[in-house]
Amino acid sequence: MSNYAHPEVLVEADWAKANIGKPGIKFVEVDVDTKAYEVGHIPGAVGFNWQTQLQDQVRRDIVSKEEFERLAGAAGISNGDTVILYGDNNNWFAAYAFWLFKLYGHKDVRLLNGGRVKWLAGADLPLTADKTEVKPTAYKASPADETLRAKLMDVIEIARSSAAARPSNLVDVRSPDEFSGKVIAPPGMTETAQRGGHVPGAASVPWAKAVNQDGTFKPLVELKQLYLEEAKLNPGKPTVAYCRIGERSSHTWFVLKYLLGLKDVRNYDGSWTEYGSVIGVPIER
Amino acid sequence: MNHQTRVYDNILEMLPSEENPSPLVRIGKMNPAPGFELYAKLEWLNPFGSIKDRAASAMITDLEERGELKHGESRESGRGIVEPTSGNTGISLAAMASAKGFAMRAVVPQKVPLEKRVLLRIAGADVDVINDQMCPSPGMGEGSIGIARSYAKAQKDHYVMPNQYENELNVQAHVRTTGPEIWRQTQGRVTHAFVSLGTAGTAMGLSKFLKAKNPAIKIIAVQPSEGHDVPGLRNKSELHVTKLFDEKQIDEILEIPFELAYTRALELCRTEGLFAGPSSGLIYEGARQVLLRDPKQVGVGVMMFCDNVFKYVSSMVKHIPGLGEE
Ligand SMILES: Cc1ncc(COP(=O)(O)O)c(C=O)c1O
Repeated sequence: MSNYAHPEVLVEADWAKANIGKPGIKFVEVDVDTKAYEVGHIPGAVGFNWQTQLQDQVRRDIVSKEEFERLAGAAGISNGDTVILYGDNNNWFAAYAFWLFKLYGHKDVRLLNGGRVKWLAGADLPLTADKTEVKPTAYKASPADETLRAKLMDVIEIARSSAAARPSNLVDVRSPDEFSGKVIAPPGMTETAQRGGHVPGAASVPWAKAVNQDGTFKPLVELKQLYLEEAKLNPGKPTVAYCRIGERSSHTWFVLKYLLGLKDVRNYDGSWTEYGSVIGVPIER
Repeated sequence: MNHQTRVYDNILEMLPSEENPSPLVRIGKMNPAPGFELYAKLEWLNPFGSIKDRAASAMITDLEERGELKHGESRESGRGIVEPTSGNTGISLAAMASAKGFAMRAVVPQKVPLEKRVLLRIAGADVDVINDQMCPSPGMGEGSIGIARSYAKAQKDHYVMPNQYENELNVQAHVRTTGPEIWRQTQGRVTHAFVSLGTAGTAMGLSKFLKAKNPAIKIIAVQPSEGHDVPGLRNKSELHVTKLFDEKQIDEILEIPFELAYTRALELCRTEGLFAGPSSGLIYEGARQVLLRDPKQVGVGVMMFCDNVFKYVSSMVKHIPGLGEE
């Protein structure tokens, strides 16, 4: 399992259990279902709310550097800490938070392999509803590392080039029905686009294909098979991942960059809600 | 208790058993194979309104006997139950827990109809509604199960989780009650049992009991099409959440467009006077398809009609055009 390109960004449940409460190690839970943390979390973990804390509340954007500093500081995180992220739905939003931590230059951030599902399944892995006491810190973030991000213009350029001249691989990580344009967004979702379909040239690899039934990441051979053989991503080129609002794609971004070790991987956080609403850009169904 | 006069000391005595079976009612006009005796087993006549009374009573009795449930100063300070449920198991558990003086928390997926969510509260449960349909994706766990598990793990002093998705008593309940009832009611002549798959407790229990009596009995399961809206049921792609399911115990699984659950339920109401809910509608469609393969076939079939339509008024309005118009 540790033949991943960067095994150091993944921790297993046993390691996490042994490191609960250790100085310099901070657990952060980020869930799709924001109620989950309140019901029970790893002792000492803080909870981030992806809707109110991880995105700008006025502009459509990620949180600003200053907001991120406030958030990390209020969570008691210091720049030198090892941050362990975990969450529900196979670490869906935990991976988004991981991308943000990297974007703002945090050195040592890791994902708990298997996330919440795996933790809940372990009889000897503790969970508590007790409130976590935090000592606020003065956290300093680096300016956003824009090389981890793809912008609309980059994606339009990919869409308009012929297969041979395409500057980057493009991976659409949404469900098959979103890819085909049968639905614009999963049922009940409020963030949507004007049109359904996908960016021309995108390979469809639903994000959850990268995980096993127990929530852990698939072994390297299977990931290679999935992304390099079946989806035919060219490891010699940069890669852009997108979804609907940029969170599921950060999960795939993590897999491609840290587990497979592809060189230049970017998350297109504008994703389909941006691309699918732009006048005149090419769309495929 | 006296099942003849139907006079009981308390509601729990009405729970179904070989001596007090839920009724079998023969299908008339809607039977496409007149030589084949097709029966509906009316599970909604169980005391709390559904087939899940059986599993719920087996699980809660077991927890009580093992001392896992505790009475406190108040209901809340004791140790009660938390369960992920599409509604029916929760309603049965909540009613029984209330009758026994224990607290109950139900964790339900958002697609569960309003009627069931309100009924859970009426029965005395605290209800958490979980949005776990956010990104339909292969391999995703179900949010409601995770949240229920979290309560049981983080708040051990207050909650124990019967867990119908893993609890063998969910199967045993049908080995002990549903199976023997059908065997006796048909005088051992049953040839087919038509079931649906939610936790698969019914399918597994009936298979175990009936095939031990007569290995030739066919267990036919129906599943709604993917992306369905039939509360309580699972498509095969969603069955991984139940540890009880073993495909080998079933002779055939029919996949049926889920909308038919609603249209067939309506037809059963209007044609047979059977106030069938959507899962019964889907099961009927499965039986119909099997009988239509050879309308001359003979046999004795029992369809599990899991609950009635009263709890699904809002779902019926959603899926049957014109039904809600004033
Ligand atoms: C209405 C309804 N029909 C069918 C079923 C399926 O029964 P089982 O869980 O035994 O597979 C359920 C139970 O979850 C239900 O609530």
